Amino acid sequence: MTLTAPIQVDVPLESAGPVKAPRTKRGLVMTLVLAVIALFWISPLALLVVTAVRPLADFIGNGPLSWPDQLTWSNFKDAWGIGNFATTYKNSAILALIKVPLGVLVSAMLGFALAKLRMKFRRTVMFTVFLGLTIPIYITIVPVFIMMRSAGATDSIFGLIGPYLAFGIPFEVLVLQSFFRQLPDEIIEAARVDGAGDWRVFFTMILPLSVPALVTVAILDAVATWNEFLFALILLNSDAHKTIPVGLLNFQGQFANNNTGLAAGILIAVVPILIAYTLLQRWIVGGLTAGSLKG
Amino acid sequence: MATTTVALSKPQRGGRWSPWLFALPALIVYVGFLVYPALSSLWFSLTDWDGLSATYNFVGLDNYLKMPSDPVVVTAVKNNLIWTVVTIAVPTVIGLLLAIALNGKVHGKPILRLIFYTPAVLPLVSIASIWGWLYNPQYGAINSFLRLIGLDGLATAWLGQDSTALWAVMVPAIWLRTGFPMLLYLAALQSIPNELYEAATVDGASKWQQFWNVTMPSLRPAHYIVLALSLIDSFKVFDMIYAMTYGGPGTSTQVMGTWMYFNVFQYYQAGYGTAIAVVITLVAIAVGIPYVRSQTKEAS
Repeated sequence: MTLTAPIQVDVPLESAGPVKAPRTKRGLVMTLVLAVIALFWISPLALLVVTAVRPLADFIGNGPLSWPDQLTWSNFKDAWGIGNFATTYKNSAILALIKVPLGVLVSAMLGFALAKLRMKFRRTVMFTVFLGLTIPIYITIVPVFIMMRSAGATDSIFGLIGPYLAFGIPFEVLVLQSFFRQLPDEIIEAARVDGAGDWRVFFTMILPLSVPALVTVAILDAVATWNEFLFALILLNSDAHKTIPVGLLNFQGQFANNNTGLAAGILIAVVPILIAYTLLQRWIVGGLTAGSLKG
Repeated sequence: MATTTVALSKPQRGGRWSPWLFALPALIVYVGFLVYPALSSLWFSLTDWDGLSATYNFVGLDNYLKMPSDPVVVTAVKNNLIWTVVTIAVPTVIGLLLAIALNGKVHGKPILRLIFYTPAVLPLVSIASIWGWLYNPQYGAINSFLRLIGLDGLATAWLGQDSTALWAVMVPAIWLRTGFPMLLYLAALQSIPNELYEAATVDGASKWQQFWNVTMPSLRPAHYIVLALSLIDSFKVFDMIYAMTYGGPGTSTQVMGTWMYFNVFQYYQAGYGTAIAVVITLVAIAVGIPYVRSQTKEAS
């Protein structure tokens, strides 16, 4: 049962809770109240979508809260070009594709050592690594900037990989080691008796049994990588190397008076995350709760 | 060979060095790109380095002693405190209320949960862009809405004046940060055994009494996690303020994180800027340590 903990936490959320109210009336009233709040909650995004698909003249003439008279795709075309999205998308995607698997692998290895191997100074290592959760990125930017400059790695998305890995590790290790600890020792012992070494145990037993936890951590890490701003702002200067968050910031300025173009651009930047989140939300939800709801 | 004998006598254990082979890749990256830079910032904070020149002088604690007389630091500390209190209290309370509501007999729970959590996954910079756009004095939806419901007098340049800017930036932060406590509380509520409520009902406890005597005590671990993580998070604020107001108008929305950035990258006072970062980091570590210790202790 513990093997699939990250998803299973999510499952009961779907079912009815402990409050015993007659399903009919009170449930409907509550649903209605929540629906109104939810509508209000999502209204910034809804407005964004509506604005992005209407002509600028229509928006200015009828105001931001009106229903569009006309629909158009041209805002997206303009925004795509001016926002340099072809480049920033590519950069963000390459970065995530390299960083996320690498980060999950090294974190899983450390998590395995902490959870299942007899390691000296284990508590000290754990404490030091988890302390990273509290450290703000900006304490490191001056030295990291100097390091990268002397290594000639500024203005390159590859220069971001090291810092991104380092700041991802504390959370990933925290979640993964607590997951690994729940895996029964007996199966590992059995493999050992059959002559398997640590590496074989890790690759053929621990990793396959931990797919739910690995996926959860990978998704959260991908979202964090996709959204990171400060390192990217400082280490990248030329437009050809910018990631989506930094590109979006420049783009904002160029659309000072073009409200519909700005809306389309923001939407372009946000859509992949929204789609990924909608498809994978049960993993994210489960991972968050499983990762932190202990102790 | 000693290692072989050990391995033979205790076949269930790996070699003594094996754990470190697993640990080293992550530890090297972590130390190289986080611990080492953080520690060398301590050194830079004791110098008068401008961030560009090859030379600089050791000035001891001068940068730290300068802070109390820097009016922007005073503003930034005040803003950091307001920011921390508001962006912890409001999302936590709203998140708890939403979780309790969603835990009842409600239709469409998955979609509601999806909606309330959505802002939490958006890039911070895009949230800043969305709200900057909503706050636009002329064509922004917020002022249009106020005019629509007859509150024309309230419509104002929310991000453009000292008195409202900080509060205006906090609204999107609340929007973004309510989803996480909601999810955690929801999961915690699910795990409270139904029998507790049944027993309370038998004893004649009202819904209100049940909330205070059954629900709230059972949620204690969740409260702890939510508050610890929010506290750690709130102290680090940078992106949202940088992207929405750039610390302005004037210096009215500066926080320690942005003021550090401006000193290092705009005013060429890297030593002083780093000292500001050190102060906020020490506070963040101090408030985070109980959480870190609880996570470490639980492991053994």
